[in-house]
Amino acid sequence: MNGISLGKYLPLDSCFHRLDPRAKIGALLMVMIAIFLPAGFLGYFIIGASVLVATYLSKLRLNFLWKAMKPMLFMLIFLLIVNLLVIKEGTLLFQIGSFGIYSGSLVQTLYIVIRLTLMVIITTILTATTKPLDLTLGIEDLLKPLKKCKVPAEEIAMMISLALRFIPTLMEETQRIMKAQMSRGIDLEEGKLKEKIMSILSLIVPLFVSAFQRAADLADAMEARGYVPSQPRTRYKQLRMQKKDYLFLIICLGIIIANIILWRLS
Amino acid sequence: MKAINVEKLSFSYDKQNTILKQLSFHIEEGSYTTIIGHNGSGKSTIAKLLIGLLEKDEGSIYIQGIELKEETLQTIRSKIGVVFQNPDNQFIGATVADDIAFGLENHQVDPEKMEDIIQNFAHKVGMNQYLQQEPTKLSGGQKQRVAIAGVLAMTPSILIFDEATSMLDPKGKEEIKRLIKEIHQLHNITILSITHDMEEVAQSDHVIVLKQGRIVMEGKPADIFLNDQQLKDLQLDIPFQWKLKQELEKRGITLSNELTIEEVVDELCQLRLKK
Amino acid sequence: MSITFKKVSHIYQKDTPFAYKALDKIDIHLQQGRMTAIIGATGSGKSTFIQHLNALLLPSEGSINICDREIRSDEKPKNLKELRKQVGLVFQFPEYQLFEETILKDVCFGPKNFKVTQEEAETTAKQMLQIVGLNESYYAISPLDISGGQKRRVAIAGILAMNPDILVLDEPTAGLDPQGAKDMMKLFKELNTVHKKTVLLVTHDMDHVLEYCDDVVVIKDGHIEKHCDVSSFFQDCEALREMGICPPAVIQLKEQLQQKGFAIEKQALSLQDIVKAIVKEVKQ
Repeated sequence: MNGISLGKYLPLDSCFHRLDPRAKIGALLMVMIAIFLPAGFLGYFIIGASVLVATYLSKLRLNFLWKAMKPMLFMLIFLLIVNLLVIKEGTLLFQIGSFGIYSGSLVQTLYIVIRLTLMVIITTILTATTKPLDLTLGIEDLLKPLKKCKVPAEEIAMMISLALRFIPTLMEETQRIMKAQMSRGIDLEEGKLKEKIMSILSLIVPLFVSAFQRAADLADAMEARGYVPSQPRTRYKQLRMQKKDYLFLIICLGIIIANIILWRLS
Repeated sequence: MKAINVEKLSFSYDKQNTILKQLSFHIEEGSYTTIIGHNGSGKSTIAKLLIGLLEKDEGSIYIQGIELKEETLQTIRSKIGVVFQNPDNQFIGATVADDIAFGLENHQVDPEKMEDIIQNFAHKVGMNQYLQQEPTKLSGGQKQRVAIAGVLAMTPSILIFDEATSMLDPKGKEEIKRLIKEIHQLHNITILSITHDMEEVAQSDHVIVLKQGRIVMEGKPADIFLNDQQLKDLQLDIPFQWKLKQELEKRGITLSNELTIEEVVDELCQLRLKK
Repeated sequence: MSITFKKVSHIYQKDTPFAYKALDKIDIHLQQGRMTAIIGATGSGKSTFIQHLNALLLPSEGSINICDREIRSDEKPKNLKELRKQVGLVFQFPEYQLFEETILKDVCFGPKNFKVTQEEAETTAKQMLQIVGLNESYYAISPLDISGGQKRRVAIAGILAMNPDILVLDEPTAGLDPQGAKDMMKLFKELNTVHKKTVLLVTHDMDHVLEYCDDVVVIKDGHIEKHCDVSSFFQDCEALREMGICPPAVIQLKEQLQQKGFAIEKQALSLQDIVKAIVKEVKQ
């Protein structure tokens, strides 16, 4: 588990950690839009530079970002190959058998690689600097206007926060059941396919049974404490936007505008 | 007015297995009542029926004079707090403070006022040092104390403990039992505790003994323990002091009722002097 | 078939900033055929200790001799499956490891993992269900449809069906009602005396230790605080309290009577013995 960076929260103390989660989610969305504007390499340079500054300010190490990128490498290479073979624009650079590699395909591929890399990095910055629960609160607040279109914002947020609350408990449970079944002789590494299937069943069935039991208990406890889905509630943790949050959003807006200008000029 | 009044209550999950049969009992305001019976006697079902988590087949339930119905459900739930058996499965919030806040949020308490309320009740259960802790870092006993703070914060007039100490280690058990006693004495809250712990039963005002969904004995703990043969038939134990008293009586040494071990020893010393 | 730990340490997440030493140079010798209680506060290392007995956890330092095998920290052990058959480990709340369609199938699961034929597995399973007190009417029922206490019995039968020489149980009576707990302890005593299994059990219940066990091991902060037989263990109340153990009521009574000058033999540990002593003092 220690090798994964994508989606992991790092409890550091930086100015990015202290920003309002809504501002950070908003910024993420704006930078995403900027990334998809066809503003050419200069546009990507502006975004890339900003992202580097953001990484520095959030006290994240480049190594941490690299680890977040790793799972994406396979996809990038796959895209690279497909693009090189399919796109036939620009000048022919060289030919292998019946396949030609064109300059246009190289440019296109580079664009995609840059876009994906930037997206993964900004998402990683968001999740590494924001506690999962604060992220949930932010999502809840941002979804609130959608309540008019019958989007159950509070219920969605409640579901996410309960899931987050029970992840460690269920991980522990999985460990325990695994050890219990290993004591009964299951072997997850060796054995025939049929035995392996039985082994996996012997883990999954008990895990489900216990998860359902927990869910039933939890529902009872919530109801007993007066929880009624879709009824109005107040919230203990209140988020407050401050000057620095607005300033941060304005900077991100600046990035979009710069990219729009570049796109229009080209 | 009775805190709880139950009349001819019946309940079954399916047609074949009736869990509760025509159960009638009442609980006095401000009393400490325990319900005992071996597993499967229907004890825990009672707790769930009282706060409307399960729906009764027949009979009626009155909480402080209000009948439990669809319309009164939320009113009644605001009067009763329940602490369940499994400390993990009733911890709802991400931290201690969030968990205590959960009930307050449901009752639409002003967020500005929550901080003080949380501090106050966390202090009452001795958890004010742990407000920002996550549940994985807490012991079972600590989680149960948080659960108690969470229900107390909603200022209920009745507290139900549904085997709340059965999954704890001896230290946790003692802590929670002491806390329940303290709450009862300090806050004048009616306590209904479903338990296996005979020491706790000995400390309560009133005992209800269940067998297969029926009340078979009811009364003061001292009166119940005198019927030790019947308790044995019900596969229930009696506290150590009572066993000792009975063993001595068989050999012609009579002691007074309701004694702690220290008091038994003192009485025996006096008897020895008189010899 | 005895068990010997030589300077065994266990470190979780070794070589990381989260490294945590749960066992610290443990030396212990457990005799064959005894029923031993393992006690200690939550987090003392007792869970870590018992998981070394069937090599679910391996020592970070030191070596363990168990069932004619040696497990050392400096070599990767092979064929652990064989050891897991000889040392049956029952986890806390074992009812959560049941998963088959029927009780009989579930009990057969263990032996079948050890390449026993279907028929043999079924014969053993039926014997073991008999021992834990479940008759043939239970064979075809789903293990999810019975009471909590019965589920636990099925789970224990599932471990017994592998025919282990050593049975290790982690808080086997947790969450049962007092009668259910007593019946369970009686079952372990029977397995120990009649079926000659070496039994090790983690428990918090001192009454059970006093009534059913032969030996006691106290684990504290990752080391063995005490290892002795039950009667000498309960003779010194002061020492018990120092270890954070609340003595059983009968021992408390004995202590207080002795302080008031009642003559009670050191060996007297049951209510009957003490009542006899009281009668002697008060009446004769």
